[in-house]
Amino acid sequence: MFLQVAQVLGQDSDIGMILQTLFSLSFIIYLFYAQRIQAMTMLRQVEVTLRKVKTIKDEGRRVSIEMVNEVGKPGRDPTPDVDRFLEQFVISPVSLDPAGIVGKLDQLINVSDYTNEAEIRAIAPQATETEAHNIENLLGAAHALNYYYKAIRHYYLLGKKTMNVYIIMQIHMILPLIIKEIEATSAAIQAFRNGMPIGDGVGPLVASKLMRGHESIDVARETVAAWVPYEGRTLIMLKAKGPGGSVGKPGDGVAKILGDDEKEKKIKAVIMIDAAGKLEGEPVGEIAEGFGAAIGGVGVEKYKIEEAVKARDIPMYAIAIKQDISNVIAPMVEELHKATDTALESVHRIVTERTKEGDHVIVAGIGNTMGIAQ
Amino acid sequence: MMADQNTQIPSMSTSWTTLAIIVVIGIFSLFSLWMGFQALSSDKPEQSTYYLLTGTVGFAAIGYMFFRTKTVTTQKSDIPQVDVVTILECPSCDLKRVRDFKRGDYINKDDEPCTRCDGNMVITGIHRRAEPEKKPRQ
Repeated sequence: MFLQVAQVLGQDSDIGMILQTLFSLSFIIYLFYAQRIQAMTMLRQVEVTLRKVKTIKDEGRRVSIEMVNEVGKPGRDPTPDVDRFLEQFVISPVSLDPAGIVGKLDQLINVSDYTNEAEIRAIAPQATETEAHNIENLLGAAHALNYYYKAIRHYYLLGKKTMNVYIIMQIHMILPLIIKEIEATSAAIQAFRNGMPIGDGVGPLVASKLMRGHESIDVARETVAAWVPYEGRTLIMLKAKGPGGSVGKPGDGVAKILGDDEKEKKIKAVIMIDAAGKLEGEPVGEIAEGFGAAIGGVGVEKYKIEEAVKARDIPMYAIAIKQDISNVIAPMVEELHKATDTALESVHRIVTERTKEGDHVIVAGIGNTMGIAQ
Repeated sequence: MMADQNTQIPSMSTSWTTLAIIVVIGIFSLFSLWMGFQALSSDKPEQSTYYLLTGTVGFAAIGYMFFRTKTVTTQKSDIPQVDVVTILECPSCDLKRVRDFKRGDYINKDDEPCTRCDGNMVITGIHRRAEPEKKPRQ
């Protein structure tokens, strides 16, 4: 049978000729439409990601509404309020004349924080302080997912409308990185809903280990400090006030403590512990020591710390606990939990090697303190 | 309004049409390869290139289609859920206990009474349960 079919489709036969023409034609078509085919392939991949992101962001929204209903017990349906929160935006101050921009940013962040806090109190009146903070964090994650979805959808629809390969490429090229960020944010939903410590909480966890059993006082908004004696020195432990999800105002805290010490000048060093992004190949939980203000964010708190420390001309040491982006807001992994003990040893070593007995040292654990009390 | 949006997980499994296309391409590719090998051993070996190329391209296309389908179907789109454990320690007698995380647990919380002494157990750690290490291939 194969021989018979072969004779029919052979190059000398009519069908063979047709096949060969089709084959040559496909080459010519590819010559002119290669870019369009490439654009369609890329659009397809963006579409698949878009579907995935839509499911995740819908789930984030659903969990947020569920949590508000469950712990906040509002008298009405919180859905419109949650939807309004998901669409919220903050306009960055103009940077054409950068002088004073940090103050503007600080004011903007404060207004946003206080307003959101009041709104969450209104939609979840029965929630405790800790739960209200966790709802705020959860809504923040849902907000981020909603934004990712909208940004991808924008480029997808624009690309589909114009079939311009360069528009599609813009989103296609960064798609793996965006997916990684979305997966990290989606992992936060479980942690924020249940108030579990997250990867970013390694700094506050180190601080809390030293603060345990010592009285702590509020030094700034959602920021606490405790005075802990250690080998003839006094460690002024600083962290965000837990166990609700908050990063506090470490800049204000450090500035206040240094300001109060202005006369006695006992503080001789500042040590900051924070989570840091690891490079591919580096293990999760690796500790690195360095210099400078170990703190992320938009830069307002970092600026305040640098200004306060510069005014006193004291050294600033940094301890970074390395982690992947997927660990930062996901429930804390065991490697990071163990790494806090190593970081604690680093703090002790820096204190004993670089300060003298009688000195005071500020040790600031930077990060989100969700699930970690003082 | 957002509340009206569809929240169903999209179905991305292989459709019957795709399977039919794969089967048809497969048959033609197989036949093309057979023709190519026939041509090689015939008195017109120069014709074999065309058939072998067509057959190979056909199989490459099938492979690509399967690869894409697998990628899409394995992309589960739900929120990841992980096992989290709470570590409790008794400051009086150093008894250590590990249990599943319960909502309301937080580090430094005075939790349940110690089973060995009169003290209270304190939560000293909360982290993801370590995943069992995969055995290296022999």
